[in-house]
Amino acid sequence: MNVESRKKALRYFFDKVVGPLGYKFTPDGDLMDFLLEQEVMLERKHGIPFCPCQPLSHDRLRDMKIVCPCIPFHRKHFDAIRRCWCGLFVHKDVTNPDSLPQIPLSEVGLE
Amino acid sequence: MKKVSMYTLSTCPWCRKTKKFFTEHNIPFDFIDYDLADEATQKRIMQELDANGANGFPFVRIDEEVIVGYNPGRYAKLMGIGGAA
Amino acid sequence: MPRKDWIYVIDDAKMPEGGMVPVYPLGINILMARVNGKVYALEGRCAHMGCPLFNGMLEGTVLTCPCHDWRFNIQTGEFLDASELRLKVYQTRTEDGKLFVCLGQTEGL
Ligand code: FES
Repeated sequence: MNVESRKKALRYFFDKVVGPLGYKFTPDGDLMDFLLEQEVMLERKHGIPFCPCQPLSHDRLRDMKIVCPCIPFHRKHFDAIRRCWCGLFVHKDVTNPDSLPQIPLSEVGLE
Repeated sequence: MKKVSMYTLSTCPWCRKTKKFFTEHNIPFDFIDYDLADEATQKRIMQELDANGANGFPFVRIDEEVIVGYNPGRYAKLMGIGGAA
Repeated sequence: MPRKDWIYVIDDAKMPEGGMVPVYPLGINILMARVNGKVYALEGRCAHMGCPLFNGMLEGTVLTCPCHDWRFNIQTGEFLDASELRLKVYQTRTEDGKLFVCLGQTEGL
């Protein structure tokens, strides 16, 4: 399957997942396109569309928590920063994704 | 000048922005793209990330300070430069 | 519930305890599973990326998708890590050793 059609397929699947969780694709079209493309490449390499911004540990239990959309496994963190780590998804009410900094869990004050 | 090093992913746009920030400010830095590194290096980096409670990239070290996530404001502050990009 | 909404899918005897069998009434992908004697019918494709679930792992009433390990409660269809997401659950009924599912109405929603 070519990259563009696989990107479309991922969009279709992910849209159905993130909507009920209160998220949407980032309104930053270039960022969305770049991230989806990276995921298609990661899927080609590993068979799985992992997050382009989190490390693979090669421990299955851990790695399955960074398969896109990984929101369910990092819910409190992402709800607090109103975006997912890589920024492919933002809270539904976000209109300016650039205003959302990438704050690590350790600094969110949840722990 | 303070020593800057970072762990990044070749697939991560925020890691690219981070490298761009330091490049544009003419600040030399070392980096390792985690996803392109060998297994032993990955293992070592992973331990370092875990030890610092880092859940993702970019992971930047400026002297002894660690900054996780793209944060140009903090880079600028730590480097003593005004007008963060 | 009008009778015509029930559709035969498989013989009861073909559903082993702790086992999962995919069925396709009217082309709809449904997963049949039997736990503690009771038969459950669920949407056969994962809520994540649509992987067929019959290849997954059933432990008690928890079904794990073979693709990326998303876990579902087969009684409610609920995804264990975010209850907003769920698999459709179909009612089942046995008559004369035959299993029927109700396509006209879903439960657990
Ligand atoms: S398709 Fe089922 S967990 Fe991804």
